[in-house]
Amino acid sequence: MPSPDSVALKGVTLTYGRKVHALDGIDLAIEPGEFVAIVGPSGCGKSTLLRLVAGFARPTGGEVRVGGEPVAGPGPDRGMVFQQPRLFPWLSVRRNVAFGIRRHPGRDARVAELLDLVGLADAARLRPYELSGGMQQRAAIARALAPDPGILLMDEPFAALDALTRERLQEELRRIWQQTGKTVLFVTHSVDEAVFLGTRVLVMSKRPGRIVLDLPHQPDLRETVSTAVRQAAV
Amino acid sequence: MRAVALRLGGVLALLGIWWAVAAAQIWPPVFVPTPAAVWEQLLKTSVTGYSGYSLADHLLVSLGRILLGSLYGIAAGIVVGLALGLVPAFRAVFGPLVTFVRTLPPLAYFSLLIIWLGIDEPPKIALLFVAAMPPVAVATAEAVRGVHEDYLNAARSLGVSPWGLPFLVVLPSALPEVLVGVRVAVGVAYTTVVAAETVNGVPGIGGMIRDAQRYNQTDVVVMGLLVIGASGLAIDLLLIRLQRLLVPWRGKA
Repeated sequence: MPSPDSVALKGVTLTYGRKVHALDGIDLAIEPGEFVAIVGPSGCGKSTLLRLVAGFARPTGGEVRVGGEPVAGPGPDRGMVFQQPRLFPWLSVRRNVAFGIRRHPGRDARVAELLDLVGLADAARLRPYELSGGMQQRAAIARALAPDPGILLMDEPFAALDALTRERLQEELRRIWQQTGKTVLFVTHSVDEAVFLGTRVLVMSKRPGRIVLDLPHQPDLRETVSTAVRQAAV
Repeated sequence: MRAVALRLGGVLALLGIWWAVAAAQIWPPVFVPTPAAVWEQLLKTSVTGYSGYSLADHLLVSLGRILLGSLYGIAAGIVVGLALGLVPAFRAVFGPLVTFVRTLPPLAYFSLLIIWLGIDEPPKIALLFVAAMPPVAVATAEAVRGVHEDYLNAARSLGVSPWGLPFLVVLPSALPEVLVGVRVAVGVAYTTVVAAETVNGVPGIGGMIRDAQRYNQTDVVVMGLLVIGASGLAIDLLLIRLQRLLVPWRGKA
């Protein structure tokens, strides 16, 4: 019986029309608690891979399983953080975070706990547009964590932030991951970010999207990954 | 302050031109009444009334019709707009119909409404409803189709069902544009109310204008027009307030 927080892709293919192979025969098994960083040049299908796990799209071939069950659509067992925060502008920060647990008892305590976790306790009453980009992304992370998903899917969540904010959020994300023990799939185009965050780093190549490197975290990983990404880009 | 001064200056300049043209007596007062005559009519109608009703009665009855017609039109427009934006089959069938109705002049179908509904309130409200609905429907449909899929996906990941999406995400996202549609719709209802009151329209500001036209009381006609314009301006300012209150994030997110 696979753990509910495991992810398994078997021969996953995604084709647009007849010619464009976004993903080609992806096999991947992710254990609970892993922090998997997926890095690759733009257009390599890394975001597409994430969308398949999230259930926003379906593969044209192969199978995506989460917790042993085929993915039929999005669900609160998989939290999603996008490149843009995509907070609901008509709701306060507090109500954005509460969105996924609107009807749960003990909602308010849970929201307060999450706002503490991401350092936004003082911003609960503000509207998203009153926050800086970094604060918005923290709120988006808290919102995704609210239903207590076993898996957190992050699609270049820090790419639109300035360097300083990005570094701080990377460290906070690592702390949050250590505290919560979530399985994380983290897509990025930055080798540094992937190597810093990932307990395991995947490198994907351009169309057709394939996994060309799959290594656990190790001392000389940065060089290896850099080389692989450079080769994947041509 | 500057804006207020500019507006005041503009109004005063227009009044000056009007006064000069009337005073020059190029055309007889039955074509161009003087500002003074119109002002006098405003006072007289406010106190003693016209066609048996005071100016306030005429205005309130018309505003009531506009309010009712707009409310029905806005409610239906939002529902139709949602369906147009969300259901491709509905859009294919009813999209052209909405455009068809939108391009018809209200007076053209008013005759039909009178045949169907008589000469009392129902055809008037129906006319305003038919006129006010399309702007809201079109604005809503466009806004609904423009909602970024990330918002929908975020909500779906947070456990919102397909039936919950329109209410929890799509409509709130579309609200800024819907409110623009509402402003246009109320404006259309305003311009249509005079047409609606051409038949059995007293009391009503349009009915009053219609009666005054029959007796060549141009000063009353002009006074009526000014009252409609001024009240329309006031209501639009209210709607802008409402817009700021309801969608403070507009242009910021």
